[in-house]
This record gives sequence, C-alpha cells and structure tokens, in this order.
Amino acid sequence: MKFVQIENNNKTELRLCQACAQGYTSFSTGFNLQHLLSSMFQTGNVGQSLSPSQQLKQCPTCGRTILDVQKTGRFGCSSCYEVFKDELSPVLRRLHGSSTHMGKVPARGYPKARIARQIEELRRRLQECVRLEKYEQAAKYRDELHMLEKQLAGGEGV
Amino acid sequence: MKNIASWMKQGGPEGDIVLGTRCRLARNLQGIPFPEAASRDQLREVLQQVENVVPRLQSLGSFTYLEMGTMDTLDRQILAEEHLISPSHIQNPQHKAVILNDTSNVSIMVNEEDHLRIQVLKPGLQTEAAWQLATKIDDLLEEHLDFAFDMQTGYLTSCPTNVGTALRASVMFHLPALRRLKKVQEVLGAVSKFGLTVRGLYGEGSDVRGNVFQLSNQITLGQSEEETIEHLARFTDQILHSERQAREYLLEEDRRLETEDWLFRSYGILSNARTITSLEAMELLSDLKLGVDLGVIELSDRELLKQLMVQIRSAHLQKMMGQELPVQERDRLRASLIRDTLRSKS
Repeated sequence: MKFVQIENNNKTELRLCQACAQGYTSFSTGFNLQHLLSSMFQTGNVGQSLSPSQQLKQCPTCGRTILDVQKTGRFGCSSCYEVFKDELSPVLRRLHGSSTHMGKVPARGYPKARIARQIEELRRRLQECVRLEKYEQAAKYRDELHMLEKQLAGGEGV
Repeated sequence: MKNIASWMKQGGPEGDIVLGTRCRLARNLQGIPFPEAASRDQLREVLQQVENVVPRLQSLGSFTYLEMGTMDTLDRQILAEEHLISPSHIQNPQHKAVILNDTSNVSIMVNEEDHLRIQVLKPGLQTEAAWQLATKIDDLLEEHLDFAFDMQTGYLTSCPTNVGTALRASVMFHLPALRRLKKVQEVLGAVSKFGLTVRGLYGEGSDVRGNVFQLSNQITLGQSEEETIEHLARFTDQILHSERQAREYLLEEDRRLETEDWLFRSYGILSNARTITSLEAMELLSDLKLGVDLGVIELSDRELLKQLMVQIRSAHLQKMMGQELPVQERDRLRASLIRDTLRSKS
C-alpha cells in the first residue's frame, strides 16, 4: 500500500503493509527530535531575538548561518562547531549536562593527549577496584598506569 | 542468498532475555562538510577515501564494500531488517555505501547522517565485547583517515546529540513477562532520568513489536566510553532481574495454568494458521519464545525462533521466493514458513 503526501512541494512516499496502513494517519503532533533540538538553539529567554551580529555569523566552510542551525538542529560541517561555539555551549550543557569531552582521543595528531586520557581512565578504574576491594585487578591497573606515565614523561613510543 | 546476520542467529549470553547488543560510533572526515551539507563531489570523495581503507581492516576478518545505489531494493531492505543499516540509509541510496564483514556482525554505513557510522552487533548481552571491537575498528580506520575532532568537544558529528564520544550503545531486550503484567512502563519509564532512552525494535519513532525494547545511552559528553558502557550494563542488570522475577511470577502455582494456556494458544495459532501478518506473527513468536525459555513448550532448536523473527519479515520472505510478492501472498507464505519450521522442530 502506498501513501503519497505532498507538503510544501515536498513529496513523501510511504510504503506500508495492510496492517500498518490501517493504523496510519497523516496526523502529526509536530513533536519530534528535530523540533526539540532546534528549539534548544533559540537563544536566551523565550521571545528574545538574535542580535544582528549573531544573525550575520556564517560558517566560512559550509555557508550555514545560526538561523539554518536553528531550523534543522544540525551542523553543516566540523568548522560550524568553532564558528557557533558560543551558541552551542549552552545547548550541549542542556543536552548532556556537560560541554567537555571525556572520552577517546585519536592517536594520530594527539598522541600525548590520548595517553593522558588513558591514564585518567585507568585511575578511575583503579579507584573503582579499590572501592570494591578487587586488589588483584587493581595491581594490574597500577602497573599499566606506571607504564603509561613513564611513556608520557619520556615521550617514548609517542 | 546472504546468510542471516550472525547476531540474529545465535542466542548469546542472557539470550533468553537479551536478543542482542549494539555499539555505534559516528565519525566524520576532517575538511569535508557532513553528508547533509555536502555536494555530490564531496560525497563521492568520502566514498573514495573510505573504500581505499577497507583493505586495512583485513586483520579483523574479510570486509566487503557495497554501494547502496548498485544494490537492488530487496537486498537493501534485507540489511535494514537485520539492523545492519538504518531505515534512512535505504532512502536516497545515491552516494551511500555500507561495509560488511563476512559474519555480518560489523557494518559501517558511509554517508548516512555522518560520514561513517561504525556498528558492531553481538548476540545476547555483550556490551564490553561490542565496544572493544568497535573501538578497534575505529583505531584501524583512524590510522589512515583524518577524523574531525576537537579536544574540548570530542568527535564532531552532524547532530549535537551525538558529539563527544559519538558512541551509542544499545541493548535489545525481549520483555514479554513484564509486558504481560503491564510493568514495562514502571521498569523502563525512569531511565530517561539517568541519561538513557528506550525505543522499539526498529529505531527512531518505531513502535514496539514482539515485546522487543531497545535501551541506549543518550549522553555522549562529560563521560568516557567505558563509563557509558558500565552505566548501561548496570541498568541492564536491573531490567534482567525484573523480567526474571516477572517470569517466575507467571509460573507460580495459582497462575501457571493461565500462563500455559496463553502460551500454548499462541503456539497453536502459529502451528496452524494459513495466513498471518508480520505484526501478528511477531507477537505470537514472542509468546512462543517465552514458552520455550520458560521450559513450558519444548522445541529441539531454541535459536530457531530468533531466526524466524527476521525470516518472516517482508524482504526476507520475498528474497526467499526470489521475487516481489503481493501482501496476501506474503501472509500466506509467512504462515506456511512458520508451520513448516515448527513442525520440523517439535
């Protein structure tokens, strides 16, 4: 069974089986992730509009403006993250409760930082092991930790 | 015909309740706009760069690079039914590709929402193993590709909900007993307060079918990948515990007859129906799986039901018959496939 919906000159086709089609209606609550996301990019208090300088800000790589980002809730390229940093930061805190990356770092280009992150992660695990009194595992982590710390200090294998 | 993805064939750890585990990492190439904003030439450039590094993955097995545009509709749908690609990767297949390994437990989507979506799928509960494999693939790719990354914000993604670790780890649960006792909401309702989210089996916006629920992390910034995995595993334990209790409750003396009657009725319909929709089949197969897992119903091959859950889907049925079929014909074939399979194993 085929449904064709034409909205703002956009044609959407849906192929559904009979059972699904019986439950299908074109009613939309307008409630979706994209709308939620774009609403998060509305600056400051409700109703407060963007300053002219913010509106003019445009990503030199992909050409997106903050209005585009607000509309779609998506960025066009990696440079957008730098260009719209100020607008993004509160959004990230609202989404994730944090705006700081705590995870993996690519080895290439960031060799020292990668080791530093691994050390942080090992320390966290070590503490967890001590808390749970898993001393054998803790000793293993401690050895790994010493090795990485040596690497970081001496620049070996980096 | 390609074999069914290994993760949908085997049971795996905690396989009576956990159907599978998935880890997905999003990555983008430095200097090229994200797929949504990229030109055709730029999308082609991504395909080219990625295709060139496929041989570098050989240490992890044999990988095949497939352009979506060159596959026929049915083959694309089959991959989606096995969760190897997302439903959105099927729409507008031009300039999109997928890299699959020979056991189909790794799939890398190219030019989906991000340039790369590395996915590892494992049968049963294997969060740590799935993450380890995903990060290994990421390491191998990263030796040859420049990924968009920033020390402050992490791996940069098209959507800010993924930025940071860009890791989405999911556990797929089969929760028929909790559903039967109307306790799913109580058990899963609170997860959003802990940075997790629940969906139906077929991803975003999909409804619940066959009592399968997907639990995933939502937060990708401010915690390491390991913390994310551990956090998910902790909740998983809680959910497993609740479902097991619910199953025991259903078998208590004063309820056992009612439970057995319900499960055997479903078995009866599956063994005898002459035509069946995929929705009804999913619901009844869920009951039958519960019956087998509870030891109430005996089947010689218990992994078989998991396979049936994917074999009865439209694209798989049509592929089996080697042609596109009208809906009525599919319903008839589905019923016949289920009958034959169950008869051979009862």
